[in-house]
Amino acid sequence: MMTHAEKAGIFLADVERADWHDQTLWVIRKKRDKAVGCVPEWEALRENASKIKEHVLSNLDTYLLQFEAEAVKNGVQVHWAVDAESFNRKIYSIINSYNAQKVVKSKSMLTEECGMNPFLEAKGIEVVDTDLGERIIQFRKEPPSHIVMPAIHLKREEIGELFHLKLGTEKGISDPQYLTAAAREHLRKKFLSAEVAITGVNFAVAETGTVVVCTNEGNADMGVQSAPVQIHCMGIEKILPRIEDLGIFIRLLARNATGQPISSYTSHYQKPKPGGEMHIIIVDNKRSEHLGNGAYLNSLKCIRCGACMNTCPVYRRSGGHSYNYVIPGPIGSILSPIYGVNKYKDLPFASSLCGSCANVCPVKIDIHRQLYSWRQEISEKKLLSASKRYGLKLAGKILANSRYYNFFGKKMRWALNHLPRKVLYHQINVWGIGREFPVAPAKSFNQWYRENHKKS
Amino acid sequence: MDKDQIIQMIRKNKPSLQPLPERLTKPEDNTDLKTIFCNNLKLVGAEVIRIDNEALVSSFISSHFPGAVDFSQPENWIGYQSANSKDKSEKLNTIILKGQFGVAENGAIWLDETNFPHRIIPFIAQNLVIKLSGENLVAGMDEAYHKIDITKTGFGVFISGPSKTADIEQVLVFGAHGPLKHTVLLID
Repeated sequence: MMTHAEKAGIFLADVERADWHDQTLWVIRKKRDKAVGCVPEWEALRENASKIKEHVLSNLDTYLLQFEAEAVKNGVQVHWAVDAESFNRKIYSIINSYNAQKVVKSKSMLTEECGMNPFLEAKGIEVVDTDLGERIIQFRKEPPSHIVMPAIHLKREEIGELFHLKLGTEKGISDPQYLTAAAREHLRKKFLSAEVAITGVNFAVAETGTVVVCTNEGNADMGVQSAPVQIHCMGIEKILPRIEDLGIFIRLLARNATGQPISSYTSHYQKPKPGGEMHIIIVDNKRSEHLGNGAYLNSLKCIRCGACMNTCPVYRRSGGHSYNYVIPGPIGSILSPIYGVNKYKDLPFASSLCGSCANVCPVKIDIHRQLYSWRQEISEKKLLSASKRYGLKLAGKILANSRYYNFFGKKMRWALNHLPRKVLYHQINVWGIGREFPVAPAKSFNQWYRENHKKS
Repeated sequence: MDKDQIIQMIRKNKPSLQPLPERLTKPEDNTDLKTIFCNNLKLVGAEVIRIDNEALVSSFISSHFPGAVDFSQPENWIGYQSANSKDKSEKLNTIILKGQFGVAENGAIWLDETNFPHRIIPFIAQNLVIKLSGENLVAGMDEAYHKIDITKTGFGVFISGPSKTADIEQVLVFGAHGPLKHTVLLID
């Protein structure tokens, strides 16, 4: 498996595209700032949201049981899945119990996490992703590169070409309006013939058993309201205690995600539609284990707004596909260790630790601190590459001792200015692969300070 | 079995109980909710038309939306209520719905299944027109959720603007799947 740095290197080879990607995401960050600026009590909202989530996580068993009981009272069938495998088996058995073959799905990172689509497809079920961006990447057989804007890495010309091949749109036409209209026509047929609709869940309310789904396109409702059977899939951490808590979270979500005051559709599913059936699958997949991980459990507060990606200088300049985990960017890098520190050990290093992610997080997850802690843990577990491990060990020794520091400083200042390039840039100096050493000054700051101090 | 395993694991691992925070209270700002509401509707891509009084609404609708199906009148629900009416609903061009209340801070309007013959109706029509009384506005989402009794309905939705997407190069396009146009008739 290629590391984040290697994949980022490939992404950055196309300078023009990398710049475009960077700029596009920064525009969204700016829109977010504008929307946030219109809410004077923004910081109080964040604080409140964070506290509510912390409360929920500390009482999650009670709330999940309450949620289940209320949902059952509403005529909803509730299922539990301990892991991805159990989830896939259960959702297949629900679909199969209706002899259904045609499934439409609106965006759900959980089903991506569990690998639901390939599982169902192997059983002969057609799963159509209905969010436009999701449909695009489904046609391309790619994972989403962003959790809110799954096709943010693609240019309109590529989508025009793709739709020409898949939907028969006119060759060479890449006008977004035209392409969206073609997808609309194509997907309406899928909605109307769907036997089962699957959605993710933004919020699940314990006191009423309600699930809330937010979309701009209206694809969740086109599917859910058309298909006789609706299935909502949620991670255990999606719970909110009360309906009134939605007031806080709905205010935060769209503003922080895309800079809109609210999504076009905020749907509250409470009971099955007349003549229809409604299922909710509650999925753990290692979240409950993570609850015991001390400070790291904070990452379970995430409401998947994607703002940490839009603001991250590393994400913007490396693209979502450079991260090997299903959720890219800063939040993905602190969620992925749940599924194997060794497997995702490079991700906590895909950060400048600037802290911008934590600053924009609507539920105040200390993302950059967690990244730093993971780095330390990964280092202690001796999972770092040899060059990094010994490099850091050596640096630690030198930086801890002023005599060593002065000695090596002097040698390096000389070396940087006198040694041939070949000696300075080589395989062991991984730092130098993408970076240039600075021009070394003639003297150290220490020397300079002493000289100037004497003069005054 | 999965359920027991999950609940046991949570009980074993959950942190010590943290308190729920106190409810956020903010100074009531009810100054001219109508203007704020209208401005936000424009921001979310909707068209707003203000009508002086209830008596003028029906003539406005018949002159500006000829052929529209007015679902604010329950007698027009016939033929659209069953699960088999999807194909008929798919041919709906412009429909009129009555909104329960609007939210000034974001232009959203609350409707539940008592406001349409079938849950798919607000999403499947090509154009959506919502009638809303100017009396029925709240300042923000906090007030909105205190107004709703969700247990009284099977399905409810805040609609704010037309169906939209920006999934192709962040270019905003209306009518991703649902209504291409969203018009609000605000009755003063």
